Amino acid sequence: MNRRSFLQRGLFGGAVLLLGGGGLSLYPTRRVASPTRPLRVLDDRGFQVIAAVAARVISSPDADPGVLAERIDESLSRLPAESQHDLAGLVGLFENALPGLLLDGRVTPFTRLDAAAQDRALESWRDSRLVVRRSGYHALRRLCFVAYYGDESAWPGIHYKGPPDVKGFSHDDSKAGTPGWIAAQDQAGAP
Amino acid sequence: MTKLSVVRASAGVIDGSAASADLDLSAEVCVIGSGAGGAVVASVLAAAGVSVILVEEGGYFSTADFDMHEAHTVPKLYQESMQRATADLAISVLQGRAVGGTTVVNWTTSFRTPEDVVAHWATKHAVGGFHHADLVPHYEAIEARLSVHQVDESAMNRNNKKLYEGCKSKGFAVAPTRRNVYQCMQTGYCGTGCPINAKRSMLVTLVPDAIDAGARLLFRCRVDRLESSAGEITSAQCTLLDASGYGVTGKRATIKARRFILSGGAINSPAVLLRSGLNDNGLVGTRTFLHPTIGVTGLYDEPIEAFYGAPQTAASHAFAHRGDDVGFFMEAAPGYPVLSATAMPGFGASHRRLMETSSRRTVHIALAIDGFHDDVPGGTVKVRPSGAPLLEYPIPPRLWEAFRTAQRRLAEINFASGAKEVTTLHDPPVTATSDKDLDRLDAAPWEPCRVGVFTAHQMGGCRMGDDPKSAIVRSEDLRHHVLKNLHVIDGSVFPTSLGVNPQESIYGLARLMATRLAGR
Ligand SMILES: Cc1cc2nc3c(=O)[nH]c(=O)nc-3n(C[C@H](O)[C@H](O)[C@H](O)COP(=O)(O)OP(=O)(O)OC[C@H]3O[C@@H](n4cnc5c(N)ncnc54)[C@H](O)[C@@H]3O)c2cc1C
Repeated sequence: MNRRSFLQRGLFGGAVLLLGGGGLSLYPTRRVASPTRPLRVLDDRGFQVIAAVAARVISSPDADPGVLAERIDESLSRLPAESQHDLAGLVGLFENALPGLLLDGRVTPFTRLDAAAQDRALESWRDSRLVVRRSGYHALRRLCFVAYYGDESAWPGIHYKGPPDVKGFSHDDSKAGTPGWIAAQDQAGAP
Repeated sequence: MTKLSVVRASAGVIDGSAASADLDLSAEVCVIGSGAGGAVVASVLAAAGVSVILVEEGGYFSTADFDMHEAHTVPKLYQESMQRATADLAISVLQGRAVGGTTVVNWTTSFRTPEDVVAHWATKHAVGGFHHADLVPHYEAIEARLSVHQVDESAMNRNNKKLYEGCKSKGFAVAPTRRNVYQCMQTGYCGTGCPINAKRSMLVTLVPDAIDAGARLLFRCRVDRLESSAGEITSAQCTLLDASGYGVTGKRATIKARRFILSGGAINSPAVLLRSGLNDNGLVGTRTFLHPTIGVTGLYDEPIEAFYGAPQTAASHAFAHRGDDVGFFMEAAPGYPVLSATAMPGFGASHRRLMETSSRRTVHIALAIDGFHDDVPGGTVKVRPSGAPLLEYPIPPRLWEAFRTAQRRLAEINFASGAKEVTTLHDPPVTATSDKDLDRLDAAPWEPCRVGVFTAHQMGGCRMGDDPKSAIVRSEDLRHHVLKNLHVIDGSVFPTSLGVNPQESIYGLARLMATRLAGR
């Protein structure tokens, strides 16, 4: 997607222009994980950034950033076209547009920061005076939580025992519970 | 006895994703959307002998799909896989998309429209086509059909009991809710599709009634545009979606009818009109209301397990009427893992700590009553280049005030119920351990994307009223002011929000209007 169309459509309609930066970094993106299947929405660089974000957002020893990034790629495919483009653009900006994180006078990509600096980068978006940065933080955070807590392997860690067994309880009758239906059941001596 | 499994397999049910060629269909009436509004209209008209085609963008699911697992059910049942949000992402939009509409995922709380709201519409929004008394027989019929009844206090789950008892000890008016369920076993999973068909949603009641009475149902079919000529709609132009619901098959459908009923729900119905270029007075999509919702979570020593048990069995309207200030009402919400995780603030270790204690947490919400104050005019629906709707909803100062006050009341309720700690959904969160800390909550930042705000109640955007300059449809029959064979019958016609959960208001109004149409 070219920058112009991205800016015109905006982050979910918002003014992404305010994010600033976004040009190519002097440092390439660090490889964090390898996708095990063709990606649907993200490009490989976006995949690396998302995996790096997921590694910080999900603080649980069993979380695999590559697996989470694949699930996130899948969930992005269910968004309207503009949101897919915006998120892909957002991820690119997040990698490179991190004012205040200047090392050696150059912007260091998110994927190349150490863990503490990555957390500070997320916090700087969370606490930004610009709504669009705060939106970006929430979009990234949300994607990671959907990917992680949607899987039953995450449930024991939060003391969630999962859904109950409902076998044999289902009604298959559109009139169930209506007055006439109840009267008929009573007459027939049904349960 | 009407078996749901038999109805689903009947010849009148057409799966748009399976069509091998473009479809050309016609009927006397085409109803667009099969939720609270559309299912009622389709069933009433079909029973009156009118030939009806009911068109639905979502899939036709059953208990086989409703496995109470968010990752499996949410993409099937929610608009944009529950990732719908306002343009600035400040408000998460929970809205359904399936045969049965949002009623498939709603939490079954049933209220009639408050009488004073209907009276307010008459005086302030020129709604002269009906009175509260006209709606009453329709509420009664719906309540009987959907098995609406008051819940038993003893059946409240702990999440609701904490709200209920906390309100009582604070002296805040509170009452058990009424629910549209039959032989409910209280799994708690209303929000991912009732696994046992205990919820009397449109999917298992009025949609089957409509099909039984001869209506045809075409699902996985999205109405893109309504074509019009000489002041009348001539056809609905549609895209057929694939079985996942997120891709297209490349096939199209054209539906011709004498009358069109738009029942896509708020946000979606305005989007159909906007895509069709039908916005003469420039008001389509404006005054979209959300009952914008904030929450708190209280931490207890004992298990709460807000994911199990009927989700909403207590409601407090103690602060619904606050004069010049915006009112709000208070309820509970279910704590499914993904829903909780996305609502809980923070990331990394701090978020994880909240999640690790989530089974001992309440989830209590306050829903602000928007649209009754001049400076709380709601949001505006637009369409994006792809045709997908986009909602802009700037949160005005009065709403922030309502959120702040509501959050304080919710915190007080939790402390009165024995909470050890109350946490807000600010990011970073504000935490209080007793009433003494509550000034700290008041001082929290109230700005977009610094605090979680949600909506499960979208209303307005195609408002009714008898002045063509200030409304989209007239109130006597919800007919479009300009287009003589187009009606809008769903939650989008409300000129304000409601102050109560909307489903029964939509059922009642839709049944009144459908009955009037059937008599013509
Ligand atoms: C999680 C949740 C919990 C809720 N709990 C409650 C509750 O306890 N009590 C209560 O009263 N209310 C509740 N609600 C709200 C209530 O269910 C809705 O307000 C109500 O169903 C809206 O009815 P509607 O007819 O306006 O739209 P919907 O019921 O949303 O139906 C609209 C249908 O039209 C379809 N559609 C839209 N556009 C098109 C198109 N272009 N082509 C084809 N089809 C289209 C949609 O896919 C959808 O299926 C809840 C909502 C949510 C999300």
